[in-house]
Amino acid sequence: MTTIRRFCCNDLLRFTSVNLDHLTETFNMSFYMTYLARWPDYFHVAEGPGNRIMGYIMGKVEGQGESWHGHVTAVTVSPEYRRQQLAKKLMNLLEDISDKIDKAYFVDLFVRASNTPAIKMYEKLGYVIYRRVLRYYSGEEDGLDMRKALSRDVEKKSIIPLKRPVTPDELEYD
Amino acid sequence: MASKFGLAGGIPERRVRPIWDAIDSRQFKNALKQSTALLAKYPNSPYALALKALVLERMGKCDESLSVSLQAKDLLYQNDSTLMDDLTLSTLQIVFQRLDRLDLATSCYEYACGKYPNNMDHMMGLFNCYVREYSFVKQQQTAIKMYKHAGEERFLLWAVCSIQLQVLCGNGGEKLLLLAEGLLKKHVASHSLHEPEALIVYISILEQQSKYGDALEILSGTLGSLLVIEVDKLRMQGRLLARQGDYTAAAQIYKKILELSPDDWECFLHYLGCLLEDDSSWCNAASSDPIHPQKSVDCKFSHLTDEVFNSRISDASTSVKKLQADTSVNLIRCPYLANLEIERRKLLYGKNNDDELLEAVLEYFLSFGHLACFTSDVEDFLLVLSLDKKTKLLERLKSSSTSHSTESIKELGRFITLKKIQELIGNTYKLLVDELERSAVQMSEMYCKSLPLSKDLDPQESIHGEELLSMASNVLVQLFWRTSNYGYFMEAIMVLEFGLTVRRHAWQYKVLLVHLYSHLGALPLAYEWYKALDVKNILMETVSHHILPQMLVSSLWVESNNLLRDYLRFMDDHLRESADLTFLAYRHRNYSKVIEFVQFKERLQRSSQYLVARVESSILQLKQNADNIEEEESVLENLKCGVHFLELSNEIGSKSVTFNEDWQSRPWWTPTPDKNYLLGPFAGISYCPKENLVLSSVLDFMKEREANILGVVERKSLLPRLIYLSIQTVSACVKENFEVNGSICDPKVSSELKYLLDRYAKMLGFSLRDAVEVVSGVSSGLNSSEAFGADMVGWLNFAVFLNAWNLSSHEVVLPDVNGCRPSTWQVVNTLLKKCILEVRSMESLVCYPQLDLSVLVQLVTEPLAWHTLVMQSCVRSSLPSGKKKKRSGSADHSTSPLSHDIRGSVQSTSGVVEEVAKWLGHHIKKSEDEKLDAIFSSLEANDRGDGPGQVFRLLGTLISSLNEAELGDRISQAMKSWSPVDVARKFVAGQRAGLSAFLRICESKIKSLQALKQQMAQV
Repeated sequence: MTTIRRFCCNDLLRFTSVNLDHLTETFNMSFYMTYLARWPDYFHVAEGPGNRIMGYIMGKVEGQGESWHGHVTAVTVSPEYRRQQLAKKLMNLLEDISDKIDKAYFVDLFVRASNTPAIKMYEKLGYVIYRRVLRYYSGEEDGLDMRKALSRDVEKKSIIPLKRPVTPDELEYD
Repeated sequence: MASKFGLAGGIPERRVRPIWDAIDSRQFKNALKQSTALLAKYPNSPYALALKALVLERMGKCDESLSVSLQAKDLLYQNDSTLMDDLTLSTLQIVFQRLDRLDLATSCYEYACGKYPNNMDHMMGLFNCYVREYSFVKQQQTAIKMYKHAGEERFLLWAVCSIQLQVLCGNGGEKLLLLAEGLLKKHVASHSLHEPEALIVYISILEQQSKYGDALEILSGTLGSLLVIEVDKLRMQGRLLARQGDYTAAAQIYKKILELSPDDWECFLHYLGCLLEDDSSWCNAASSDPIHPQKSVDCKFSHLTDEVFNSRISDASTSVKKLQADTSVNLIRCPYLANLEIERRKLLYGKNNDDELLEAVLEYFLSFGHLACFTSDVEDFLLVLSLDKKTKLLERLKSSSTSHSTESIKELGRFITLKKIQELIGNTYKLLVDELERSAVQMSEMYCKSLPLSKDLDPQESIHGEELLSMASNVLVQLFWRTSNYGYFMEAIMVLEFGLTVRRHAWQYKVLLVHLYSHLGALPLAYEWYKALDVKNILMETVSHHILPQMLVSSLWVESNNLLRDYLRFMDDHLRESADLTFLAYRHRNYSKVIEFVQFKERLQRSSQYLVARVESSILQLKQNADNIEEEESVLENLKCGVHFLELSNEIGSKSVTFNEDWQSRPWWTPTPDKNYLLGPFAGISYCPKENLVLSSVLDFMKEREANILGVVERKSLLPRLIYLSIQTVSACVKENFEVNGSICDPKVSSELKYLLDRYAKMLGFSLRDAVEVVSGVSSGLNSSEAFGADMVGWLNFAVFLNAWNLSSHEVVLPDVNGCRPSTWQVVNTLLKKCILEVRSMESLVCYPQLDLSVLVQLVTEPLAWHTLVMQSCVRSSLPSGKKKKRSGSADHSTSPLSHDIRGSVQSTSGVVEEVAKWLGHHIKKSEDEKLDAIFSSLEANDRGDGPGQVFRLLGTLISSLNEAELGDRISQAMKSWSPVDVARKFVAGQRAGLSAFLRICESKIKSLQALKQQMAQV
């Protein structure tokens, strides 16, 4: 039961119950607003009956040449609406926009290496572990860079896993 | 002119780079050294000066920075041959912005643009300056210039946005939109449009002028293809058609959207609305608050004939059936919930009685009753059912769920749903006490029984059935309200603490505990749990209401200060940086976001919480420093002697505020900070005030709250000025009194004080004269303190300032009491003593709730503190100043009537504080064991096996017999660590910490009063 529409500033005042959940980070204002100002098509919210916020996705598109790609910065679903494939819907939307509108080669995301439930979910959605990023999270935990190739990457070159892990300063983008 | 040939502001890049690097790595000393050296080499370079100014600002040397940057600006203006390059200008701009002097940055760019009228970089910089200043008209003019010069679509859109902002956020008339439309039309004719966002703005300009037909035409033309996401375009078309009144076409469009995304609930509502020619959703959208959407029960379709209505409804049913068939593989909720909406409309139209709707809910329950969102899905539909019908529904749901037991997670889900529906319906007041008890026991039992289902979950994920403990604790609080048996309340706490032992991340439990502990006077503990919520950034705006109001009337000054500081910093930072982000949206051509950002900034700027926090943080400072008049005076100096807040108070009538708080997560018994049902007797009503909140129009509720808050702020913002004037007038009068030839009492101060007192009295609901009578009536014992109503603190403040004023004016004539006329000093003494000791002696302070403690804290930290300042000022002025000897001609201070009054008042006030301190000490010393015993005996079983403690004891039994294999290691370990004694200890310690903080405040006051006594002895 989902109306998916662009995220707007007022939603920042309405996503409280989603963000109090401790797995969801509340970023500073300039972070959200920079995403809204630069990539409004990559920032969507799902609303349920009674105008309740069910979850949202924020991302961006960046890179050069064959590494022009969509990136998922955050995706979150309120506990009340979990296990209904909402995350999948939101991810599909972002992939669709990366693929059809921005003609990107792939979509990627970072996930904590310990977050098995999330990794499993992304794998189900077609993402593969492209590489491990050592001590990516606050210099402590490793991150996994997961990718899914889009139609433009015909030979699926972008998702061939790297053999060795990289360090955060080797990353091309923030 | 720009930094070509490796030049930066006319200086070789290699010389400048290290300075920037040093700034970026925050090595400011190094940067300063280098920039001073650079300046020696290029003494006439505005860029070198600007760099130095930047470094100075970053080092916190704002005055120096301003003077250096002004030099740079002067050089820029004077010297025609100097480089007016972008780098210099933008560096200066950064400095001026950081120094809060946007005007200076703007004038630099204005000058540059005047000098080089065709330089696009400068114009862009100037536009940016106007964006920062929110000068929409000048933005528009600059953008038009750029458009004329470069002919680019984006600059035209910048101008159009600036026009739209004048209409939406400034004072521009709607006619301006016609101008924007004309500009766009002309551009489209010659150049077409190339950005989807440009089209969105174009459409919105037309829509704002109700030119729906024109907008639709554009959308269906070639420009329409700019919108790549098909559904977005269709939504726009549907809305425009509906607003135009072409419901048939609109319904078709919405039907199309439903085919593309059959789970789009909002779209279905629009579809049905259009079929039934009901435009209320469009009309309501304009008037309602986007943060707290109004739940509209009513629909509009009275004009439809029976026949038309029937046929439209049957169309809707057919579409819904088709949607159900199309999506049968992948069961989604929308096409099924749609049936409920259809039945609801029929009911409201008078077609059906509510049985059909009831059946539809039942059917929906069979498919989706196990989902956590079931209750919120159907919430709006239950609003139209009578209480009897709701009760009947609950019965039917119950009986249907027993016949429907499949897998255990679903079974649990349905159980939770039933309990949630019961909570929502709010008919629990009809249940007997033991039925309610049983319900709480059942929920907790179910929670424990279901724990094995969560055995393999990640510790960070919510546990199956987590809501059950919140609901159980809600029931227990209701039992407490009903029976006044404190054991239930303690049990509610234990249940939640237990839940947090099992999973420490459950934020709903933490929120409830914040309120429960606050209510019991264990505010330090409430604050601990609040901190555990990790509230930061924008959540401070939406979540702070859980703790802030209690903190502001408490003795926890340090913690309150932290809360206020963090919150104000967040808001101020955002308000400062918002314009830069708006410009970012301009640059990236996301024009619709430009409008949104400016409106959002205005919304936050008008936040009621922000307004309150600003006033309260100043008052808190005044409270904290009131024991030392010199420190208080420096606080007042920083507050510009209270003038700023006085202005705020004067302007309050023209203000409207916004409410951004998330009320949803508050417990049922305190749906807003100004309401607490537990303070009143059990009302025998539904305990679902949240539902009441929905029905009694959200807008009315907001209006009432707005009036309350503005009233409080209006009065509170007078305080700093009143305090300042009191200190001044008292000091002048004492000098006048004691020095034979000194007549320095400033009549202006006294008359301003009178004027403010007059206003203050009016805010209390009286004329100055009548207010004087009220205070003297209570002080003489003619009336009880009940005459003050709920606002004892406000009245005592009034009495304190009245006394200060009377010292200079002698205008107050109090009525005789037993043949003698009391002085205003005596009135204040008596009132402070009477009220403080009266509140202190209330039994509720030692038992529960402890809310009167906050009144006591306020009386001591506000009126009593302000009065102490008045006395300090008196004594200071009556002391021989410095090393000067007593002038031979001066009067003998010690015997003057004024001295007598002051002495008496110091004596009386310190006596009152000592009494409070003694009482606090007594309670703090009480043994922990005694308190623990009281808590646990309230949870013990009685002979009949009923009463509080049943859930608590159940949890104990379950832990003692837990099956580790079933629960898994993590949950078993967590459950084993459950220690009710620790919880009780923490609670007792929390209460004690609150009292101790108050005791420290009292002790400091006693010290300060003793020092006054000693000083008096020297006079």
